[in-house]
Amino acid sequence: MKNKTFLILKKELREVFRDKKSLSMMLIIPILIPFIIIGISYLFDSETSKQKDVGTIGIAYELEEIDKEILENLDINYEVNSVKELQDSYDKEQIRCYITKENNTYKIYYDENNIDSATTTPYAENYLNELKLYYQDDYLKSHGINSEEVLDIIKIDYQSIAKKEDNFYANYITTYAFLFIIMAITISATYPATDATAGEKERGTMETLLTFPIKNKDIILGKYLSVSISSMITGVLGFILSLISLKYVEKTIGIYKGLNLIPSPLTIIITLLIIICFSLLISGLCIAIASLSKTFKEAQSSLTPITFISFFPGMISFMINMKTSFIISIIPFLNYVQIFSDVNSGKINILYIVSMFLSTIIYITIVLSYIIKQYKNEKVLF
Amino acid sequence: MITVKNVKKEFIKQEKKNKEIKFYAVDNISFEAHDSEIIGILGPNGAGKTTLLRMIGGIMEPTSGEVLYDGNTFQEKEIEIKKDIAYLSGNTKIYQTLSPYELLEMCLEFYDYKEDKEKRIKEISNLLEMDKFLYNRINHLSTGQTQRVNIARCLIHNPKYYILDEATSGLDIISSEIILDFIKKEKQKGKTILYSTHYMEEAQDICDRVIMINKGKILIEGTPQEIKEKTNTNNLRESFFKLIGGLSYEE
Repeated sequence: MKNKTFLILKKELREVFRDKKSLSMMLIIPILIPFIIIGISYLFDSETSKQKDVGTIGIAYELEEIDKEILENLDINYEVNSVKELQDSYDKEQIRCYITKENNTYKIYYDENNIDSATTTPYAENYLNELKLYYQDDYLKSHGINSEEVLDIIKIDYQSIAKKEDNFYANYITTYAFLFIIMAITISATYPATDATAGEKERGTMETLLTFPIKNKDIILGKYLSVSISSMITGVLGFILSLISLKYVEKTIGIYKGLNLIPSPLTIIITLLIIICFSLLISGLCIAIASLSKTFKEAQSSLTPITFISFFPGMISFMINMKTSFIISIIPFLNYVQIFSDVNSGKINILYIVSMFLSTIIYITIVLSYIIKQYKNEKVLF
Repeated sequence: MITVKNVKKEFIKQEKKNKEIKFYAVDNISFEAHDSEIIGILGPNGAGKTTLLRMIGGIMEPTSGEVLYDGNTFQEKEIEIKKDIAYLSGNTKIYQTLSPYELLEMCLEFYDYKEDKEKRIKEISNLLEMDKFLYNRINHLSTGQTQRVNIARCLIHNPKYYILDEATSGLDIISSEIILDFIKKEKQKGKTILYSTHYMEEAQDICDRVIMINKGKILIEGTPQEIKEKTNTNNLRESFFKLIGGLSYEE
């Protein structure tokens, strides 16, 4: 590193660490990540528990022994009452759906827009299917037909082939933890980048800086490195806190029972590399965009879209389960989330990792070269 | 010696309906500034003084023409030339989160100062009577104290050339006096000083030669006495108005 670049870096870091806003952006935002991970995990857990809770089904006809036997076997709670009483019970949320009977027609009354009602209705359906099977079996037997030959004409056997890494919740929470880190890095980079460029212009210290015997290249590189270090601190701190909170939810929350949410040492190293690459790219972009603004406010407005651009492509690619290819590995923002997602599920492709790293270096070089050239232009400087 | 040769600076002004108008903020200015000389650059606001001094200070590139320091241009020896320059203007503010000591130490590092940094800071601190607030944060200092720190920043590396753009603008009489005293002392040490102001009386007091500019062009150049004689006026203020053809706000 050149001496003058180092001096600018030293000056910028001193400013970052003395500025309460920069410091809070750098340190407080990652502290929010564990709260988000733990909060989302509890939400998943409570939703899963709700799904396991069958609730009570209302029945508006007299039950025969066989009905009671099937309902007990299926472990279904029920309430027998008149239709009017059952409607009242439904309105009071004491039952989740109810069944009426007229001759051989059974009707299930439920609300598909109500998650509780929609969860319980399949149990009511199961009960009626079992009942139907019983009567079909009884009818066939009474006509001297082997019911098993007719009713069990094909057999269905379910065999689980799910792997630990395919666990929906585990995959979801680890990828979202990574996306939160990405978001924290972006937010953390915008403030010091704005302060170091547009902020200096607004405070009148930029012109002072330009009077010193320092090349524009050293000024830009020093500022860029300070923003990168600040965003890397946020990224690494966010990652460490994510690992701690994943370990916590793994032990305490039922949906992760038996799973190992903590990645392998190799995954941790590659994730750190992705975090560093992302921090370097986002810092370069933030410095470049903020440099073109004359005031702090103007720079912040210009940087607002960057927060979305850095976060949403990755989130969408995760949601639509996009497959990584060489092209994707060099598309900024998309590549970081895709490669993390792959590495997290044990798919390590060295070519993609190298191309992500090299493309990041190329993008940073282009962005910094552009802004160094712009630093000779008075429209940018004054 | 500073040589300014046919320097021009073109700006583009954005008019209504995206119409662009090109104009010269500095239009073909040439002069020389010698050792132990204070040159006053005089003119009203918007005359082109700041743009001219920014180009002379190497923080803005001329559209055409060149600025030479002892025969060298910024393109050839930017870093070496800037080590010999002190640039102070109303726009050159200092870092509020630092103490004067930290600021001066940082400046010495920027200027590659090889000798004992602490000794040099103490020397300047004594000279400008900054000892009482040397370690306080700059944002806690008064305007006068802050201006002294700004002067200390210029002095710290013992420059050969001073470029002072509206250095006393907006300051109280005591702070202005500190700067004017400092300029006179530096001249006696053989330094070259370019001093821009719109206070004509101030320039008359301290400048060896005066260059009056308006709309980016030199109106007249000479000693204050020569200008008064050439324009047949009693002071530089009258000379200026005579040269621009009277008092007109539009002009």
